[in-house]
Amino acid sequence: MSSSPTSTLVDVTMPQMGVSVAEGTVVAWRVETGDRIEADQTICEISSDKIDTEVPAPASGVVAEILVPVESTVEVGTVLARIATGDGGPVASPPQSLDGEPAGPTRTETPSPSPAPQAPSTARSGNGHRRYSPVVQRIAAEHGIDLAQVPGTGRGGRVRKQDVLAFVESAPVEEPPLHIESPYRPDPVSAPVVSGDGLSRMRRQIGEHMKRSLDTTATCTTWIEVDMSRVEAARKRLGVTGLAFVARAVIDAIREYPALNAWLDGSEYTRHTDVNLGIAVSLGEDGLIVPVIARAHELSVEGLAARIRDVAKRARARELTPDEVRGGTFTITNPGQYGSIMATPIINLPQVGILDFEAVVKRAVVLTDAGGNDSIAIRPMTILGLSWDHRALDGALSAQFLAAVKRNLERV
Amino acid sequence: MEWVLLWGGSLMPTLTYLQAISAALRDELRADERVLLMGEDIGVFGGAFKVTDGFVDEFGTERVMDTPLAESGIIGTAIGAAVVGMRPVCEMQFSDFISCGFDQLVNVAGKMHYRQGLAVPITVRLPSGGGFSGGPFHSQNPEAWFMHSPGIKVVAPSTAEDAKGLLHAAIHDPNPVCFMEHKHLYRRVKGEVPSGVFETPFTARVAQPGSDLVVIAYGAMVPVALEAVSDGLDGASVEVLDLRSLVPLDEEAILDSVERCSKVVIIDEANQMCAAGAQVAALIAEKGFESLDGPVVRVATPDVPIPFSPPLESAVLPGVDRVREACRELLAY
Repeated sequence: MSSSPTSTLVDVTMPQMGVSVAEGTVVAWRVETGDRIEADQTICEISSDKIDTEVPAPASGVVAEILVPVESTVEVGTVLARIATGDGGPVASPPQSLDGEPAGPTRTETPSPSPAPQAPSTARSGNGHRRYSPVVQRIAAEHGIDLAQVPGTGRGGRVRKQDVLAFVESAPVEEPPLHIESPYRPDPVSAPVVSGDGLSRMRRQIGEHMKRSLDTTATCTTWIEVDMSRVEAARKRLGVTGLAFVARAVIDAIREYPALNAWLDGSEYTRHTDVNLGIAVSLGEDGLIVPVIARAHELSVEGLAARIRDVAKRARARELTPDEVRGGTFTITNPGQYGSIMATPIINLPQVGILDFEAVVKRAVVLTDAGGNDSIAIRPMTILGLSWDHRALDGALSAQFLAAVKRNLERV
Repeated sequence: MEWVLLWGGSLMPTLTYLQAISAALRDELRADERVLLMGEDIGVFGGAFKVTDGFVDEFGTERVMDTPLAESGIIGTAIGAAVVGMRPVCEMQFSDFISCGFDQLVNVAGKMHYRQGLAVPITVRLPSGGGFSGGPFHSQNPEAWFMHSPGIKVVAPSTAEDAKGLLHAAIHDPNPVCFMEHKHLYRRVKGEVPSGVFETPFTARVAQPGSDLVVIAYGAMVPVALEAVSDGLDGASVEVLDLRSLVPLDEEAILDSVERCSKVVIIDEANQMCAAGAQVAALIAEKGFESLDGPVVRVATPDVPIPFSPPLESAVLPGVDRVREACRELLAY
């Protein structure tokens, strides 16, 4: 959509988000071409390596052009969009034509060729000149509506209940992210339905591997609750993750119950002396990979933490070598950073066990002291889930193994 | 069904508001020997408005008692009778005259239960309201005086059916009840009324459903509200809520209407200051705030005595035009 010769175009550029940041990615547009926008209102969300932020509109006006699509990464200073200030006539969408706002000279001055400085618009943008009734504010809050976008048909352009209800019905707003730092982003509206053919090669491989495991193994899952008080204290002291402690506790438990550190391939059962520990690493939408920390039993908690950090980083950078994802004898999966508390993991063939470590959650628990007296305390608790292959071992052994892991973690 | 059929009743005769009140009294006198009527000229003369015309012939002077012109005596005697088990129904010839019986009603009847634990099941009928050039002593709407006084219930029907059902419920109620019967409705309002004894609950009634604005009214202001919104108000969907009972006030029904409509016009024929509608407005401000899409608008009689002069009287009483204008203004807001 082109701009009118009577209006001035203002560029919206990719801002510098940090000293060392040279580029940024457009995560979402909050406006569409033709939308009216007020100065300082968020026009889009952007993301750099680690930082997500919002780009405010540099001026009030109408969005004339959007130049950078969502998910595109561009250099700092690149023009993302242009805002036509002033009249805005050529791009005004039909709802705006009904808009008789009190301080808005935009309509009455339509025929005027004046470049319309920002002053009249900013008078409104301070939020002080447009008031909303309780019910209008409530409906807007419930539906996440920016009331500045709603044309008012009440006296003096006031936004009435029916206006905001009509806005809700006519223009369902795009679902916002749950939180600016949330990894969740709504699916693009025009996203095509993903067909079987649309799956990536990695996805297909994961699917085949998982299905083969379920078809082959006699999978059973056992859970145990663990008091993570000592781990929490120790990991803060050492500056490492809880996962490293769980890994060490698992290795020590494997020493007691080596039946878990084994392969069962068809009818061939092999116990291993070395613990080659697989750590599941999520690659986001692409899938999941399990790099293996060879001879993990030789590493301390700090050593494990460093290795886990290293393989996870290189896994996400797609820098793992084929050797690094082979030869695992036992696997740990740790999706708990999202708050989930239990899962039934699928055994990573030909291994016979996989341990699931989820979120650590504060809970009220009953403690019994040496004298047999009960009391209630707040403790950081987690639930460890062990999926094991009933062809290779039995439930009693898996429970004993979990109890050993629990004991190791509670004695840290 | 808004009423509960207790016994009898088959066909639904069409009665005026006044005939419905008479029918309720007659049915009660026939059904319950504890019921008796007291009032000025209600016996041989049949009452100033002929509500009890012919009653004395059927029920005798002991149950339809002509009293001296002393409201304090009427209500005081009724209280005594009620305490020993009777169900007296007192008629104030005009509601304006109840100020003479104020102390008995407010300080004795209203507080008896709290002080002595005794029930005072009396009903005080209050022919109220203006619109007929009755002047300052014969046109008042004193319901708010009693709303402000704990221990007394206040009801105000707007239809013939509710007049009968609310009067039955008032007589059965163990508390003192002020029954506000609007003189202007006596012969103007007609409707089908179930025969026999039935009770209308002390709750509000949606007289006309709507979704853009609700007019809250009671008594004679209900037909005014219905007429005011009858031309559709430019296509708006306007609800009319008939309160029917002022004490207890049906908060649930009021807040439900406000939640759906978000704009409210409240009508009082009474003087504006501290009228029933003021309590409704306060309730909405406190508990319905988040539903509001505009100011709560009141239409009431200004704080002046009701003038005798017909043009002046019609100027002060809320009429169809004033209500319609208030609705238009608020709808446009």
